[in-house]
Amino acid sequence: MTRREMLALCRNGFGSLAMLGLMGSAPFGRVLSETPAPRVTPMDPLPSHGIPKARNVIFLYMDGGVSQVDSFDYKPRLARESGENPYDKFKVDATQFNQIGTIMPSPWEFKQHGECGMWVSELFPHIATCVDDLALVRSMVADFPEHTNANYFLHTGIGIQGRPSMGAWVTYGLGSENQNLPGYVVLDGGLIPPGGLDNFNSGFLPASYQGSVFKAGSVPLANIQPLEENAEIQRQKLSLMNQADQRLLGRIGQADEIESAISNYELAFRMQASVPELTDLSGESDLTKRLYGLNSDDPHTRGYGAQCLLARRLVERGVRFVELTCPRVEADRWDQHSGLKDGHERNAHAVDQPIAGLLKDLKARGLLEETLVIWAGEFGRTPFSQGSNGRDHNPSAFSIWMAGAGIQGGTIYGQTDEYGYRAVENKTTIHDLHATMLHLLGINHERLTYRFSGRDIRLTDVHGKLIDAILA
Amino acid sequence: MFRSFYPFYRPGLLLVSITLVLSACQSNTPPPSGIPDVVDYNFHIKPILSNNCFVCHGPDASTLEGDLQLHSREHATARREDGSPAIVPGNASRSALMQRIMAEDPGERMPPLESNKTLSEREIALLARWIEQGAEYKEHWSLLPPETREIPEIENDWSQLNDIDRFIQANLQSAGLTPAPTASKTALIRRLSYVLTGLPPTPSDVQAFVEDESPEAYEKVVDAYLASSHFGERWARHWMDLVRYAESKGHEFDFSIEGTWRYRDYLIRAFNDDVPYDQFIREQLAGDLVESPRRHPTEGYNESVIGTLYYSLGEGTHSPVDLRKDEADRIDNIIDVTTKTFQGLTVSCARCHDHKFDPIPTADYYALYGIFESTRFAPTALLTTKQEAHLDSIKALKADMRQTLAQQWISDLNATPVHQASLAPAHSSLSDNQEEPASTSADSTSSYQMLGDFRDGSLGGWYPHGPAFSHAAGASVVRFNQERNRIDSLTTGFLSSQETGIGIPGALRSPTFVIAHDTLAVVAAGYQSSIRIIIDNFQIIRFPIYGGLELQVDSTGLKTYRFDVSMWKGRKAYAELLVGIYDKKHPVHITDNHLLASNDSSFIDVAYAFAYSGSPPDFSEPPSSATPTPEQALQAWGLGNANADDLSLINKLLDEGSLNSSLDAVGSHLDQIQHHTSQFADVAYVQGVTNGDAIDSHVFDRGNYQMLGEEPIPRRFLTAVTSDAQPFPTDRSGRLEMVEAITAPENPLTARVMVNRLWHHIFGKGLVETVDNFGAQGKLPSHPALLDHMAVHFIDQGWSVKSMIKEMVMSATFQQAAEGTEQGHQLDPNNLLLHHYPVRRLEGEAIRDAILTVSSTLDPTLFGPPVPTHLTEFMQGRGRPAINGPLDGAGRRSIYLSIRRNFLSPMMLAFDMPIPFSTFGNRNSSNVPAQSLTLLNDPFVAEQAEVWAAHLLTLDHVDAAQRIEHIYMTALSRPPTGEETTNAIAFIQQQASRLNLTDEQSFGDATVWTAYCHAILNLKEFIYLV
Repeated sequence: MTRREMLALCRNGFGSLAMLGLMGSAPFGRVLSETPAPRVTPMDPLPSHGIPKARNVIFLYMDGGVSQVDSFDYKPRLARESGENPYDKFKVDATQFNQIGTIMPSPWEFKQHGECGMWVSELFPHIATCVDDLALVRSMVADFPEHTNANYFLHTGIGIQGRPSMGAWVTYGLGSENQNLPGYVVLDGGLIPPGGLDNFNSGFLPASYQGSVFKAGSVPLANIQPLEENAEIQRQKLSLMNQADQRLLGRIGQADEIESAISNYELAFRMQASVPELTDLSGESDLTKRLYGLNSDDPHTRGYGAQCLLARRLVERGVRFVELTCPRVEADRWDQHSGLKDGHERNAHAVDQPIAGLLKDLKARGLLEETLVIWAGEFGRTPFSQGSNGRDHNPSAFSIWMAGAGIQGGTIYGQTDEYGYRAVENKTTIHDLHATMLHLLGINHERLTYRFSGRDIRLTDVHGKLIDAILA
Repeated sequence: MFRSFYPFYRPGLLLVSITLVLSACQSNTPPPSGIPDVVDYNFHIKPILSNNCFVCHGPDASTLEGDLQLHSREHATARREDGSPAIVPGNASRSALMQRIMAEDPGERMPPLESNKTLSEREIALLARWIEQGAEYKEHWSLLPPETREIPEIENDWSQLNDIDRFIQANLQSAGLTPAPTASKTALIRRLSYVLTGLPPTPSDVQAFVEDESPEAYEKVVDAYLASSHFGERWARHWMDLVRYAESKGHEFDFSIEGTWRYRDYLIRAFNDDVPYDQFIREQLAGDLVESPRRHPTEGYNESVIGTLYYSLGEGTHSPVDLRKDEADRIDNIIDVTTKTFQGLTVSCARCHDHKFDPIPTADYYALYGIFESTRFAPTALLTTKQEAHLDSIKALKADMRQTLAQQWISDLNATPVHQASLAPAHSSLSDNQEEPASTSADSTSSYQMLGDFRDGSLGGWYPHGPAFSHAAGASVVRFNQERNRIDSLTTGFLSSQETGIGIPGALRSPTFVIAHDTLAVVAAGYQSSIRIIIDNFQIIRFPIYGGLELQVDSTGLKTYRFDVSMWKGRKAYAELLVGIYDKKHPVHITDNHLLASNDSSFIDVAYAFAYSGSPPDFSEPPSSATPTPEQALQAWGLGNANADDLSLINKLLDEGSLNSSLDAVGSHLDQIQHHTSQFADVAYVQGVTNGDAIDSHVFDRGNYQMLGEEPIPRRFLTAVTSDAQPFPTDRSGRLEMVEAITAPENPLTARVMVNRLWHHIFGKGLVETVDNFGAQGKLPSHPALLDHMAVHFIDQGWSVKSMIKEMVMSATFQQAAEGTEQGHQLDPNNLLLHHYPVRRLEGEAIRDAILTVSSTLDPTLFGPPVPTHLTEFMQGRGRPAINGPLDGAGRRSIYLSIRRNFLSPMMLAFDMPIPFSTFGNRNSSNVPAQSLTLLNDPFVAEQAEVWAAHLLTLDHVDAAQRIEHIYMTALSRPPTGEETTNAIAFIQQQASRLNLTDEQSFGDATVWTAYCHAILNLKEFIYLV
């Protein structure tokens, strides 16, 4: 339904709204406030269900599955029983590789940090300095032990291809506060997760809500750079086009599609200018740059640091949902089926300082109060070895943390068993994570729906409950 | 049976949803508050109940609240423990339903607060009147068979109107609306060309049509486009949206799906050849079972079977840890796509619980589930006419060779009699699939099970597929040594695809069994062939978990191939002996080597297959008691039905030198056979299906296969659609029977759904706007009578898609101008009544094809392997094709561009090509900056503007005005207005002055004209259909 149609209907009053119900018209099928203002463009900000704590989300995606027992879930028993047979200890589930080895201790020391006394391994010395701002959930479970399904599940709430990503749901629900930038931006740190770009797509939601992938480099967004040698030529073309388009509009009469398409060019034109301004970091102080690790000897720390800094600049400009993918270090993503020590160390070194820098910078600027930062992978890893020095996928337990808007810093929530193999207390699902994220944005996850295939579909499907204990 | 279910076949009340909007201008005064005289369950009440009540008070008994169901009269009017019935027919005020809806106390009021639903005054009034009028329930409108409709009589009927128009006009007239005037000829031909072929008309076609003043001018153009081979390309793409068409499986490594582009070509040919829609359905769902399949027009291979690729187009998981769950997900996708595509029903909603809104119980879902669980995915060789002829020749030559040798040897024997004692012992076949202790070991934990015994040359109860095992049992193979000019022996003790011929493709598959032992073993030999263990129908047999379930057979002598299946005890499985191996690399995606390849040396021999735990059993051959005479043995072999005893005897005789082993008599046979088998070096495969053993599925409680319902559900079709949904035969999958149920003229949905899809593509919006959902949650038809009329007519015309399309585009309704009137916009802003032709954006494919057409880059070649995707640096990730495709897609139409699930074209996605995971009969039409940015800045568009400008400069235009006219005719199918020419020339001059060019110089300057052409490609008129 077009804007004009919508407006015409609204003018016709109550009965016409009922007609909307009869028509089950998709974009207006969800009602965010009791009397929704019609949306003129798909990205218009909309009011939320409740009082939002968070305005924006930064999702730090830890692709491949960080090992919980080597990062945030300290399990001294692994060292005591090192080399023993896991089948003697607990029921062992089938794994992706099914090369079940022996109980393997963490190669890293753990220490308690902050006032909350959170255990963090030496993999993350910088993040460890921020623990009093983090709410750690150690009892996450996922539905899938395979990367692709698990990635789709984490991103879309369903483990198959083609569903809208959480960033798409959020922008669909809330629009964006910056009309010159996309509402949902994916900062490609170098690795696109298994399952591909569909992790960031809009599924059955209109394409308006799909993630825009930004890359590091001079042209961060596809087709953002004007072809013309100078802006004047493009303006001349646009002016010629506008003459013709307006004439067409005059001829056809009321054609909202065409009217919208014309205004779309105006947005595109503005984006051409706002994206370079966004990615130009020259105005940032040296102090800030050092905070993010832009002076690091490790090129991956520098690269990820720049992405984190860009994430701050995006939320500063009102971009609703920012996701960062992992850098391409000289080992695979966090997916150490072998060489756990080397691989996890490289990945951790690349992201640790930038993430801590981001948290501190957001906090210093007062942005952390309105930004929800989520750090999560798609699943965890086994406490027993795969081969001699790797760990296999483990959907039965993993750790994630959240920080910022509406989050009670220093919270440690949930427990795994003594091996860190299964969540045993306060089991928390991806749906719960989604419900909580939406809640902090002021959206009731049960009410954010879109009619597809005869059902009012939600990000949380028919599940999801708030993780109350981590909320401020 | 005649049941009337459209209450308002009185124009004027046809569209309840717009009654209100229209009420102010209607000549007849509507009832107060817009409530119709007769309230109809389907059109007025059910939408209210479905949207507001059925989640807790609907057909799904598992989520029932307050023990109340409102979806049937019986339930709704039943006396309730706590008082009066929910509905008292004829008395609204005594009905608890009304009392609760109108309750003052918010705690009492329905729908409850937490549902976030409220009923409007109008909805309440409708419910009240309906109850007052007796609360008559009706079956859902789309489940009642379409009826033959009387053509409405309208005022001012005129000869240009067809029956479709009369239905449309009747509604317009009663709503006080007038149709738009006929569109201009230039607009008409552009519209026709895009709608029918997806391409802009050529300037000369436009010219010819404008100049043709004959009354048949329009119809001639229609017929020409319907006959164009580009018609099929356009409509195949529409169909591909329904069947989640992609050429790879997505997931982690994006493996290819075998031969998908042949299915795309099959669709193009099917639409071009106007294959009747019922046959088109049959071929896709059961093309492997069609008795006389269609043949490819030039290559001669089985065309119908290509349709079955339909099943394999879904997503596929790489190395799923839980195979059964993975199978359930794959079958769910097939159920989802099949029921939406062909029936407009969302049956997959009934996976976990009875459908919340439609009469689709979970049992129906699992009845269908069994059909697809009983269907096996199977690489299917497409043999060309020539290859079929070669195969026939091989068979004839082999038979003749056997006869020649047998006769020759019989006469040899008659010359020198042989002693009876030379008989060799032969085995007798094993007792069958009984559990027996392994014979060689005292280990009591050892046991085994025979899965197939082929030592007598029989198929052992296994299922052959393709020609490889199509020979007679007991044909045997002549082993010879050409250098020494002698026949060594006849093969015996195993079955071999060589008996049909080396290199002949095909497979032999076991019956489905449950894995009960640790190890499966197959005693086999062969070359470039494979043995695969298929567990739960899982096909992508790859590392890390499943690599061991596929072994390549490369051994001249029989050897035991073992599979460790201890992980999968209790799972259903079958063994597959396959001529060929799965390691062919995709030509573009060279990291992807999961395609089947056989060559002219591939073959497989198999002696027996068994499963065991503990020590392997020993199958020493017991002595045979049969004693054929040499003549009997030779005669049997000559006829191709020798048994093991016969063959052993013949071999013994050959060994002893009792038979003339020279090749002299059959040398030419052997040479010819070799010539014929060499023609199978590059067999084409598609991933099709075959029937497996029939399996009835249990209901999975809450969709969880680990929680099975008690009784298996017999395979049958949907009970809501086929009133006597009989269980299907137990000896096959039931796919053919399912097709019969779908294509039966009594099926209320099939024809309606398809004509509505055609209407959607022609008019931009279906009569039922939710084209994939004709259920209670779908929209009601805007013109129910017209929909029925067309559905009945469609079947009457032999399911001819082209005839149906022709009627639609021949209608005056289609030929209306796109310009609406103020009055129309006021009264019917959504243009539901079609008072003008709807304006809409072209699809991404049509936009790209149009750019290629105007720039003269378009290569109109039909068919063939896909053009590799052009990869930008933004397209990264696992499974990334190793070869990057050309920016311009080699100038081919968009339908020929590769569709890799994980590497979809950004331009197509920006313009709303659906992500291929489910049925998308109605694409989004979004408006995103990526669209503008693509047309403004994408290198492809820039390149085409340049190519176009360069091409223009080669044409002999005398001046800029003439060139501009040519540009308009090419891109917009009309000449420019004077103002447009003036504006264009001003722009050209602007560019010229920037570059310090004279007028004359600028006329020949590529930069200047590229800029202009680029602007034209960005015009809304270029990407919109008006």
